[in-house]
Amino acid sequence: METLLATLVSGLVLGSLYALMASGLSVVWTTLGVFNFAHGALMMIGAFIAWTISEALGLGLIAGIAGGTAAAAVIGIVIERFLVRPFYGSRAMLLITVMTTLAAMIILEKGALMIWGARLKQLPRLVEGEVSILGATISAHEAILVALAPLLLIAIWQFTVRSATGRSLRAVGQNQESAALIGIDVPVAFAIAFGLSAALAGLTGTLLGSIRFITPTMGVEPLVKAMIVVIFGGLGSLGATAGAAYVIGFIEALLILWIGLYWTPFALFLLMIVVLVFRPNGIFGGRG
Amino acid sequence: MDPILEISGVSAGYGPITVIRDMSLHLDAGERIGLFGPNGHGKTTLLKTVSGLIRPSAGTISFNGTDITTLRPPEIVNAGLVQSPQGNVLFGDMRVLEILELAAFTRRARPHRADNLRTVLDLFPRLGERSGQLARTLSGGERQMLSIGCALMCAPTLLMLDEPTLGLSPRLKEELSAAIGRISQTGVPLVIVEQDIEFLMALTDRLYLIEHGEVVREIDRASTPDHDEVMQLYFGEAMG
Repeated sequence: METLLATLVSGLVLGSLYALMASGLSVVWTTLGVFNFAHGALMMIGAFIAWTISEALGLGLIAGIAGGTAAAAVIGIVIERFLVRPFYGSRAMLLITVMTTLAAMIILEKGALMIWGARLKQLPRLVEGEVSILGATISAHEAILVALAPLLLIAIWQFTVRSATGRSLRAVGQNQESAALIGIDVPVAFAIAFGLSAALAGLTGTLLGSIRFITPTMGVEPLVKAMIVVIFGGLGSLGATAGAAYVIGFIEALLILWIGLYWTPFALFLLMIVVLVFRPNGIFGGRG
Repeated sequence: MDPILEISGVSAGYGPITVIRDMSLHLDAGERIGLFGPNGHGKTTLLKTVSGLIRPSAGTISFNGTDITTLRPPEIVNAGLVQSPQGNVLFGDMRVLEILELAAFTRRARPHRADNLRTVLDLFPRLGERSGQLARTLSGGERQMLSIGCALMCAPTLLMLDEPTLGLSPRLKEELSAAIGRISQTGVPLVIVEQDIEFLMALTDRLYLIEHGEVVREIDRASTPDHDEVMQLYFGEAMG
């Protein structure tokens, strides 16, 4: 029973991480119809910049988190401007932007390797100490991640539902031409979506940088998991994406307990294939 | 006095394909003009070019004496030149009220949001009844109303309507015609693209017949007031 509880709590931590990653992917997808493969690399850049500000420059962790988040947002906007925007309206846009965002991922990973080197780095924790949830113990830092994720998701959701800017992102995603005809600046909406999504990735990276090691490829695994999440949940709706993130987090934690770390990725991909075969729009996804 | 809208020698199209060639037309203050002609001959392309969705390859477009040829759509909307697109689904997964509120997006329209919303709901009470519904669940007529309502939320000083009666029943056409008449009475000049000539005749002062991407005839209602004559011109041209 105690093992199961501990597993569920670790699933909650994983779910929070995936929810933050996948919601960023979802924002870009619903606005631009682009799947951003550089999303994990943006997370990694956020962590490295945070490390530089916090550790190398000694300006403190809070400054590092803010700087890492902002830097990721700026790089996200740059990626949108130079690697995605030139291909809008092109017939093969989806395929082209798979290539260009993959290229961005490689550039960022190799760039990070050149700048920061291969030595493992880690950020200090926001708070030391441990927290007990239902008898299972996690670090206080992980608890902050767990608490922050739903708050951020609700904030993003409210932003897209209530604010004019957030609504404009949804409108652009549903009909670019009509959005332009009511005075919405479509390229600006694209930049906002990318910037917001990248900021989320960067923030996730800065938080993860205290739990895992910061390496140039630290974004790959969360990106792959976020992909499984969005396929499982159906791309498009933020709520479905968030729900799927927690489900995948729990499943992953349970699989690690039952079949071990080695076979878990295999089982997750198998699950994804099964979902794609029987529910092409995802478990929670309605229409495509 | 300068015309409100002046289109001179405009050519435009999609990529290498030219759809409209050397088109010139104008709209004077307080005037309502209609564009008619067969489907696929460039009427919608012309509106899209005026709205900035398509960049013309030649010619100039000026609005209230300002050259808007190279402006982008949001700038053109903010200047007061607003197009209501064909009644397709605007934003299918958004709610009616949400869409109308969003449509007052430009700096110029935002302060008038509440007033314009009241005007739109007065004009189309049906949109009020459907305010919580997703746009994709609306009927064809309601979608058309929403499209025009959105354009009104932009606080237009010139309104361009693209085929407002497309696919509507005669009763709905009448209802819509009355509503557009009321918009016109508030002093907003209109450009209406339409296939239904009777609908157009009731709402406009001057007509342009557009064929093969060119303006082939200008019909001033003062000199050619007779409906049959216009019909003959239309079908004569279309067959000839």
